[in-house]
Amino acid sequence: MKRITAVGLSVILAASLAACGGSDGKEDTKESGKAKGTTITFWNSFTGADGDMLVEMVDKFNKENKDGITVDMDISADFDSQLSTAFAAGEGPTMMLSSSAYRFTYGDYLQDVSDVFDKTDLDKADFIQSYLDYCSDGDSLYFVPFQIVGYYMYWNKDLFEAAGLDPDTPPATWNEWQEWAGKLTDESKNVYGSGISYDYAYQIAHIMQRFGGLAVTDDNGKWKANFAGNAGYEKFLNMYKAMADKGDNPVEADTDSMASAGQIGMTAGGPWVTAGLDTAGVNYGIGLIPQGDAGDMNSVEVIGFAITTAASDEEKEAAYKFIEWWNTENDDGSSPALEWSLTNGFPAYTYSVQDKDEYKENEKLSVMSSADPEAPTDFITDSNFPGINAVLTDVIPEMINAVAFGNASVDAALEKAQSSADKIVEDYNK
Amino acid sequence: MERVRKYWNKPSRSAYVFVAPSIILLILFSVIPLIMAFGLSFFDVPITMNTAKFIGWDNFVEAFHDSRFLNSLKVTAIFTGLEVPIQVLGSLIVAALISKNNKRNKFLRAVYFLPVICSATVIGIMWRMILHSNIGFITAAMQSMGLGKINFMNTPGLTIYVVSFISIWRSFGISAIIYVTAIQQVSPSLFEAAEMDGAGKIRQFIHITVPSIRPTFWYILMTRFAGALQIFDIIYVTTNGGPNYTTESTVSYIYSRAFSSNSSMGYASAMSVVLFIIIMFITVLMYHRMNKEE
Repeated sequence: MKRITAVGLSVILAASLAACGGSDGKEDTKESGKAKGTTITFWNSFTGADGDMLVEMVDKFNKENKDGITVDMDISADFDSQLSTAFAAGEGPTMMLSSSAYRFTYGDYLQDVSDVFDKTDLDKADFIQSYLDYCSDGDSLYFVPFQIVGYYMYWNKDLFEAAGLDPDTPPATWNEWQEWAGKLTDESKNVYGSGISYDYAYQIAHIMQRFGGLAVTDDNGKWKANFAGNAGYEKFLNMYKAMADKGDNPVEADTDSMASAGQIGMTAGGPWVTAGLDTAGVNYGIGLIPQGDAGDMNSVEVIGFAITTAASDEEKEAAYKFIEWWNTENDDGSSPALEWSLTNGFPAYTYSVQDKDEYKENEKLSVMSSADPEAPTDFITDSNFPGINAVLTDVIPEMINAVAFGNASVDAALEKAQSSADKIVEDYNK
Repeated sequence: MERVRKYWNKPSRSAYVFVAPSIILLILFSVIPLIMAFGLSFFDVPITMNTAKFIGWDNFVEAFHDSRFLNSLKVTAIFTGLEVPIQVLGSLIVAALISKNNKRNKFLRAVYFLPVICSATVIGIMWRMILHSNIGFITAAMQSMGLGKINFMNTPGLTIYVVSFISIWRSFGISAIIYVTAIQQVSPSLFEAAEMDGAGKIRQFIHITVPSIRPTFWYILMTRFAGALQIFDIIYVTTNGGPNYTTESTVSYIYSRAFSSNSSMGYASAMSVVLFIIIMFITVLMYHRMNKEE
């Protein structure tokens, strides 16, 4: 009995130590012979309804592909910390899906995928060049575009009609936006004319760059922040403050829910806003965000496939096969990329998908793709500025909060933003 | 082998064998990371931790000049000052009312405990929707009753109280249940004797129940204090530190510095060390006080 007990305790002790061990067989996969029959790991953070579609697509690839390649996908809401801890431990997925801005944060852990056009049947000329530029750092391509995220204007046609405005004509300028917001607001019905959130840095950034241009630009090889003295940003902040004080814009973090509840006359957001509006049965129009004093722009964020340094050559080739499949037309004339665009409402990044009849017939997508193709696509900073996330997570929220809650005047908020942005810029100018 | 077996076979030594797995896990997942965090705090380290530049005390100096960090300490102090007394004392009073084992009390204990077993994410999303300034159920109900429009989640100065309420609501049940267990351990003969001496319920509670469950009281006080100083999940889901950073707790800010794309692990570690020292200091003071009372 004592012997059995001792052995049992030893087993428990050994098991508890083994549970803390790290190896999960990745070494075996790295040493596998060819791309055929290879299993690759694929991480992303698509936890919403689009994630369900991604799961279906990946399952379809796993069943259909003739090379016996298996894509083992892991979707996590905690993608950032999962990725950072994996990289820090010398691990990581074969392939990941993320913003192309991650090339600045995780550049040391991403492989150059410029050869994807040589090793697959993908045609580089079919990809919209500005989006490929977004995925590159110098001559190296780190992401293959998967999804283009632009922000668009949505307006509630029923509220427009009730306010005596033409439901098919959205504001063409920001002066009109502000003026019409006043007409649309109805306090008795909890309706606000404008839906700009103080807590939505991406929305604020897309709008404010129409007013004052990019927050960080390349000034003869040195990065330069452009907050203080920026007349356009000043105009935007004054407009926002005026609308909030007058009650035409709610001081609210979550304006998307309000738009779905039919309480917002006009708002700006990504393509995902349509899901809530469609589900709620809101009668809405979709258009491009009004341009401003900074000139025409088509600011976007590019989400793309990246291959990490954890991938072996065989795994990289297997991942290329998946990316090729994603962008290749099947016998029905469709492709996963086209289906993704049509279902989720994200504009295409290839000319061949944009030319498809189903794409052109889709009202939402045709509006989203109607931006001037020559217009700059930089989003809030120069597309090569590595500190874009710091500007989005620190500088812009502090600035808009200070104005929204009356902590500071617009000038003071811009000065503070300049000072914060200068510190960030300084790090990258060293 | 026989000697080893004989050595570990003694009761006093075999106890170590039983606790060894827990101790190993504690060392691997608590002690070692803690020591590493101390070390990291003296370096400039990005999120990927592939480079580390020794910068001495710079991270600590920066922390004490960082208005957002100082604000987060203030927010955490306010939150702790609200949550802990209400939770500790409120749950004690409620526990006293539901300590008897009858159907009603058993039902109430289950009701109070339900939020404890729910995920913080679900609770946060639920309250965020219920208290939404324009489409929230409670907001709409209050408006229809003529109580005006209250922007619970977007009013600096008010939202911290709302977040404290949500946190109290969520973990109130566990404190109450622990108290109920402790109260039920108090010998009924003490209450009988007090009743014979003419002591009412309130006097019995103050002079018998409270002194008898003092160790439990201290346990709940210390754990709630430590928990409140580390509040993160409810804030992350409901307000993410807004409006205007008036609900940004220290851990929320540390998380944003550690795991955003603008990550600075070294700086986040330094702030964690400061928080650790504060929690340790308070815990040691409480422990010292508790021992003195005993």
